[in-house]
Amino acid sequence: MTESFDLNRYIKHHIMDSYEWNLPFINPIQLPEGLSLHGVMLIIASMIMLLLFVVLYNKKKRVPTGITNLLEVFVLFIRDEIAINALGKEDGRKMTPIFCTFFFFILILNLMGLVPIFSTATANVNVTAGLALITLSFMIFGAIYKNGITGFLKAFTPSGVPVPVLIILMPIEIVGLFIKTFALTIRLFANMLAGHIVIFSLLGMVVLIGVFALPAVLLALLINLLEIFIAFLQAYIFTLLSAMFIGQMYHPEHER
Amino acid sequence: METLSPGAFAAIGAGLVTIGAAYGIGKIASSAVEGIARQPEAANKIQTTMLIAAALIEGVALFSAVVCFMALTTS
Repeated sequence: MTESFDLNRYIKHHIMDSYEWNLPFINPIQLPEGLSLHGVMLIIASMIMLLLFVVLYNKKKRVPTGITNLLEVFVLFIRDEIAINALGKEDGRKMTPIFCTFFFFILILNLMGLVPIFSTATANVNVTAGLALITLSFMIFGAIYKNGITGFLKAFTPSGVPVPVLIILMPIEIVGLFIKTFALTIRLFANMLAGHIVIFSLLGMVVLIGVFALPAVLLALLINLLEIFIAFLQAYIFTLLSAMFIGQMYHPEHER
Repeated sequence: METLSPGAFAAIGAGLVTIGAAYGIGKIASSAVEGIARQPEAANKIQTTMLIAAALIEGVALFSAVVCFMALTTS
């Protein structure tokens, strides 16, 4: 191996978006015009979700078994613990589909990133920003549709506060809306990015120092296991915080 | 100080972020464990609250880590 190994380029190549897909044993696939690797991952995740919920979900039995049972456990957990807790009974039931979409989409994307053939789309800030913008549009337009514009502005004015303080407080609350969205984006993006950088740094040591990198490979294995837990946790946290923020906007009188 | 590369300050910053985040999450975990020890029936709610609070603190810490990344790659 006479060419020098650049650890930086190795890590960057595996994490950043690119226009070709490297599969083992064949030449890199040049992706078609207008599509990039993370876009292909998003499409594959949607296909997996369609496969799980349309094809493999068995509606005919009264008592669910197998994959149906597993999916129902997750969906009931999202409906009862996340949506109804944050939004009340009727709004919670109406908004459960969007939270299920968030949860399963982010979960499948995160778990796909741990399989070597695929790449982590949620380690791309554009993907997580898109998901957080969906939450932001629910917070703004959903609340305006539900409460009217005056009701929407009432959400920014806490009760029992004198008017001079209110003039300072309202812009802070409005900026807080965008800061919450930004925090949602950065939390998911940075968690996924950091985990993968650590794994690739440790695996790159194998080329640098040869057989003495065995402890590094074992550590990379343990961190991979931790990443599975983080994948579930980050999907749950994104869904839960989205539900809480949307609930704060839909029912402003409950939070204080 | 003239021979320090720009990556040095980013690394020191990342270390400080780790100290702050680990201290905060450690305090959360310790009070969560103490709460569960006092009242085991509330274990579920305490665990959920602990996870939410830890994720919020970790969000702030990772925001600072992203700033350190940006400091690493620009000049």
